[in-house]
Amino acid sequence: MFACLYVVDFPVQASLLAERAEVREALMQSPLAILDGPANLPRVVATNHAARRAGIQIGMTKLQVETYGGVLLRKRIVEAEDLAQTLLVQFAGGFSPRVESTCAGMVILDLARTEKLFGSPRSTAHKIPANAAAIGFDLRVAIASNPDTAFHAARGFSAITIIPAGDEAMRLAPLHVGVLPISPEMLGVLDGWGIHTFQSLAALPTIAVVERLGQEGLYLQKLARGQIDRPLLTAEPAAEFVETFEFDDPVETLESLFFILNRLLQQLCSNLVSGSLATNELRLKLCLEVRQSQSGQDGEQYEHDWKLPIPTQDKNLLFSLVRLHLEQTTFSAPIRKLTIEVVPVKPRLAQGNLFAPPSPEPEKLEMTLERIRGIVGNADVDGTDCVGSPRLVDTHKPGSFTVQHFSSVDETNNSSPAFVPSIALRVIRPAIETSVELDGEKPHFVWLWHRHRRVLAASGPWSSSGNWWNASAWTREEWDVALKTPAGLGYYRIYRDRIRKQWFVEGVFD
Amino acid sequence: MNASLLRAQIEEKLPSAFTVYGRKERGSIPTGISQIDNAVQGVPLHALTEICGSNLASSGKTSVLTSLLAQASRDHFCALVDAGDSFDPGSGQAAGIYLPRLLWVRCGKSRVKLPPLEQAFKVADILLQSSGFGLIAVDLSGIPERVVRKVPLSSWFRFSRVIEKQPAALVFIEQEPHATSCAGLVLRVSAEPAVFSGNLLTQFNLKVEVVRGQEKKPVRSKRSGFSLQTQWA
Repeated sequence: MFACLYVVDFPVQASLLAERAEVREALMQSPLAILDGPANLPRVVATNHAARRAGIQIGMTKLQVETYGGVLLRKRIVEAEDLAQTLLVQFAGGFSPRVESTCAGMVILDLARTEKLFGSPRSTAHKIPANAAAIGFDLRVAIASNPDTAFHAARGFSAITIIPAGDEAMRLAPLHVGVLPISPEMLGVLDGWGIHTFQSLAALPTIAVVERLGQEGLYLQKLARGQIDRPLLTAEPAAEFVETFEFDDPVETLESLFFILNRLLQQLCSNLVSGSLATNELRLKLCLEVRQSQSGQDGEQYEHDWKLPIPTQDKNLLFSLVRLHLEQTTFSAPIRKLTIEVVPVKPRLAQGNLFAPPSPEPEKLEMTLERIRGIVGNADVDGTDCVGSPRLVDTHKPGSFTVQHFSSVDETNNSSPAFVPSIALRVIRPAIETSVELDGEKPHFVWLWHRHRRVLAASGPWSSSGNWWNASAWTREEWDVALKTPAGLGYYRIYRDRIRKQWFVEGVFD
Repeated sequence: MNASLLRAQIEEKLPSAFTVYGRKERGSIPTGISQIDNAVQGVPLHALTEICGSNLASSGKTSVLTSLLAQASRDHFCALVDAGDSFDPGSGQAAGIYLPRLLWVRCGKSRVKLPPLEQAFKVADILLQSSGFGLIAVDLSGIPERVVRKVPLSSWFRFSRVIEKQPAALVFIEQEPHATSCAGLVLRVSAEPAVFSGNLLTQFNLKVEVVRGQEKKPVRSKRSGFSLQTQWA
């Protein structure tokens, strides 16, 4: 069964919600009209029963209403109506988890399987208006076997209406067709045919209705017969996974911070679990207590994000990640406010691939990487990560690479062709500046490891250049040279930077 | 007092006194260089391996490591703890390393005050604790020999005991071997004069010596030679 709650004269009731109960009662007894429209010509958009009885009609101008005298006029406030609608949905949510916010002042709720909590639909129907009066709503309630029948019954009948299954057409019969969601043109056609009630529309032959009025006519006839059954478009509450805590006094020690952080993460993870969700992204924001500076800013913020390869609900994992990071971070001021947010995603349900290579557990791996970063640092002076998976950059510049986040969730196939072992270059980072004596074009002596070393053999020059169109232009001349070192022959790669006009030792073939 | 009674009394106090621990069937990861694989059947799992070679001269130790990583990354996730930040991803990819399965830890690059050697050992310790890596390589050859020599034997012993229980290979790249009897395999690599074809450096002739294998020092070390081409040859 479905129950439709209809707030009569919704704009009027919404405008009075902020008033005290006694004032609200008194105002509802006296004529009241809601005005809306341009400031120079506002018109009546809603009235209460007393105003209608006094002769006030929708569409009247403010000037016309003022001629009646004793009518209270109020300006329409859209925000108040939105708030009232939210309140109505929340109120309906107290009776059923499945609530549809159908339109302004109307909600439909599914009463299936609520009997144990609230009793029969009839007793529920009586409880709803009584409870609604406590929060300031004067409601009509209709209960029927399908949402649309309940909707029309609530709009067409006063107080409480209960329509048993199978009696829909009979009970809706006396309603005027204007209650239906009908266009003015269609209403005019029906009026011309002498069709004024649901009963007369329902009695028309179906095929003739389709021939003359099309699918819209058929839909209206089914509504009049109470035969349309549709699922509810439930209003899911927008779940927020953000927790904030503001300290009375700014904290200087991490222990105090961790105590609160642990509690907030516990709450967030509980929310995730209750919503059958997990998270793969964690955002931390700390507001630091800094004295007002000359620029007018009264504080600074510290932010950090963590992206996990797989979704998790594990509070301990998230807490360890944050703890390990904060332990290696130095703050310039005490922490005043803490905000932590998790991005909800669907949890990983798939089982790991049985034929995939053994790999570190993704959850543990994140913690391992964070611990390693705590030892070696996050990034070098160029901003390249110190921990991760190397990737070659799509450029011709030798030695260009990036370090990306290492993940044990290997979704790609290793389809690399059969390899042939080859000699590797052992890179010296940063390249050593050196001086080279030339014999003609060829290097003859190279200054390396504190002395001049004779070049026994040389291969080159191998020229390359790139990015000549911007500021990061480079051009170099490479030589592979054999040098005599105290440990034996060393085959080094040296190059001349043509822009800086300087020689460098790039590495050794090893 | 008969023998069985005596045995029961001893076992009551020392439960595993008479337990015979059979040598486990140990797997290995091939290096991809047939001469080495024929000599030692690859790098052993559950054991510590040292690959040594000169740091100033070309020895071939980095090429052996690269080839080993290429083989291992086909079936395992690998970690390279690079104490001297000397790994070249370009050479690695050319040698066949599947880079997405390689965790590269660059030590001594940030403003952390810990010395690179200490960083490398701590990171290796963490990686050993988090199982799942088939090969953990620690490149110490960029660290001066006099510094590495000061690493106490207890550290090497601890590594060898931890790796014993894990289905992974722990490989150290150094200038000289230091783990002594804690190492299951010790290879020393050196280079002979390379081959120039005209103006082009094309081939390196390398020698490998098995200093220690099968967890004991051989009566006589095995030596074999092999050649590696340059990428452009």
